[in-house]
Amino acid sequence: MNESALFLLAFILYILSAFFYFGFIFLKREKAAGIGSILAVAGLALHSLAAIARTVESGHAPFTNMYESLSFLAWASILAFLLMERKYKLQKAGPYFLLIVVGLMALASSPLMPKNVTPLVPALQSYWLWLHVSVTLLGEAFFAVAFVTSIMYLAAESRERKGRKAKSSLTAERLDLTSYRAVAVGFPLFTLGGLVFGMVWAYKAWGSYWSWDPKEVWSLVTWFVFALYLHTRIVMGWKGRRSAVIAILGFLAALFTYFGVNYLLSGLHSYA
Amino acid sequence: MNAPLKFLTSLRLAIVLLILIISASILGTLIPQGRTAAEYAARYGGLGPLLQGLGLTALYRSVWYVALLLFFGVNLLICTLTRLGPKIRRAFSAGLEMEEQKILTLFIKDKFKIGCPLHKAREAAGKELRTRHYRLREKVDGNGVSLSGRKKTAGFFGSDLVHFGILIILAGGVTSGLAGFKSDLALFENQTRPVPRAEFSLRLDKFETEYYPDGSVRDWKSALTVMPGNKSPLSRTIEVNHPLSYGGFHFYQSAYGWDWDSARVEIQARKKSDPSYLKKLEIKTGEKADLGDGLQILAARFIPDFIIDEKNNPSTRSLEPNNPAVLVEGWEGAAKVFSGWIFSRYPDFTNIHGDKEAEFSFELNRFTGSPYSVIQVARDPGVGFIWLGSIILMAGLFISFYWSPQEIRMRLDDFQGKTEIAAGGILFKNRETLQAEFSMIMDSLRGLK
Repeated sequence: MNESALFLLAFILYILSAFFYFGFIFLKREKAAGIGSILAVAGLALHSLAAIARTVESGHAPFTNMYESLSFLAWASILAFLLMERKYKLQKAGPYFLLIVVGLMALASSPLMPKNVTPLVPALQSYWLWLHVSVTLLGEAFFAVAFVTSIMYLAAESRERKGRKAKSSLTAERLDLTSYRAVAVGFPLFTLGGLVFGMVWAYKAWGSYWSWDPKEVWSLVTWFVFALYLHTRIVMGWKGRRSAVIAILGFLAALFTYFGVNYLLSGLHSYA
Repeated sequence: MNAPLKFLTSLRLAIVLLILIISASILGTLIPQGRTAAEYAARYGGLGPLLQGLGLTALYRSVWYVALLLFFGVNLLICTLTRLGPKIRRAFSAGLEMEEQKILTLFIKDKFKIGCPLHKAREAAGKELRTRHYRLREKVDGNGVSLSGRKKTAGFFGSDLVHFGILIILAGGVTSGLAGFKSDLALFENQTRPVPRAEFSLRLDKFETEYYPDGSVRDWKSALTVMPGNKSPLSRTIEVNHPLSYGGFHFYQSAYGWDWDSARVEIQARKKSDPSYLKKLEIKTGEKADLGDGLQILAARFIPDFIIDEKNNPSTRSLEPNNPAVLVEGWEGAAKVFSGWIFSRYPDFTNIHGDKEAEFSFELNRFTGSPYSVIQVARDPGVGFIWLGSIILMAGLFISFYWSPQEIRMRLDDFQGKTEIAAGGILFKNRETLQAEFSMIMDSLRGLK
């Protein structure tokens, strides 16, 4: 089976997974969440095969244009979500998170994204491409988990404040803690992949580790927002609403670093 | 603590500075950086000079932005140092005055009696903690013993390591800014030029562009030879992503081009009146060749990517030979008798004006510009700080998130030849891991006879 067929099957499995997760929250069937999770794992497996097939076909890392990189971000997001779901019983976040993944997959498959395999331009021919992009996107995937749990926190918190009891064991307090845990994984990954590996590669390829290129600046902005999140939370004891809002802003900054910079600003990172 | 120092050490200041840096940095990505005054005037009208005056057009190098970063650095340094002392005391001197009641208020706790004498229980408890790498402290008082074991103490200092890493990176940035230098060296093949600020020269032996089968560029490679005055020369081929390091300098494949101003062209001339007349003339731009009959042809100008610009002048779109054209002129003694452009890709577009135009037709057969390679020469004494700072920063992040200090406290009391144990665990971050280990230790002590 070729890459596009595998990709399509993974996409379909993610959509089915989203359906089952929605079934779980609307019909309150525990079993549906389990099926959703299994479908997501199966999707992830096929998606991995698709990425391997693409790597074999192109001979380079599977994230050198927007289609590949969106697909990889979706892959990393599913991975991050499944890990967090296993560890912290996040089934209730499943439908919303799968919706984001389905969105990423839909964007990747849209005709706007050229899918043909192109040879690698000289600037990207480096093993740092693997390290820099994969670790950064994995970090951003964990920020995406924190984004979803933070929004869910805001909803749960306003519900609980009105005196209504939490609908499940995933209380506002647990959502708040889960956001922190996702950031605790995403932040070191993003620092290592985005900033440190980025600097090493920039030094090797461009002759300077930092050029104030818009993508670099936005990575730094993202990093500072999450630094703000950690300091206000740990040192100043901000929890709950304010903390959730900063985590949401941090993910939006990461999203802009990933997407917005390419389409709205110009600079050295013009390839992807 | 006096007021100014208190202000400098406050986290509030750090947060305000962070927000200011974030806002300023974003602003710098919205205003294009480092353009000409004319471009800003066209884009922002009367605001252009104001933006330039405020340093917003070279924001990341502006005095106020750099000052903001340095002020943040100072705040970070003072914040970290003033908190370090109390932290060290807290990390290394756990109080041993423990009462059973206090221990039993801890979240992780246990209390039980075992049938073995105190000295044996004490030995076993000490051994349990030590084999699990707890640093053990004991104190005997009354009819019992207080034990305190701590491990992963480094976890207290994760955030400090992160801060020191950032400070070292900042120091590296300052060093790069003050002492770093960068310069472009354009070299033709077989040309040698002295490297600025260095005691040696650089020669380009060969420059080549490699292509993929589909015609797109695979790589640019420059074969270089470093020629020190007194040592033997060193030859190395550099390519994109693979620079050469020598004597504290780095050489990067930065750009390439052709010297089109002195391009050599081969022009084929035919005479319409004489089918046997065929001349292939090799001419360097700016030079003349004989057409016969006292007539000379001058290759007046070569354009690699011909285009008519908005002022209706011939110009080049790029330095790539996409639409090569040569301007030829016919000269009879001191009189120009014809002139016009010849296109390599579009021979039919040739358009010669002048008295003798009817006589000749020209084609541009071949053209060669000497290729040159642009080598970026850089020396950056700050880069070592950056890598050191990055390593410390990453180690600090790992420690602060995943290396939590933990402590197990025990009070062992003699109770008619048996031992009563009250124990508790203090987690400084991750409760689950300590809970599991705590239970294991308690289970093994319970089994004592």
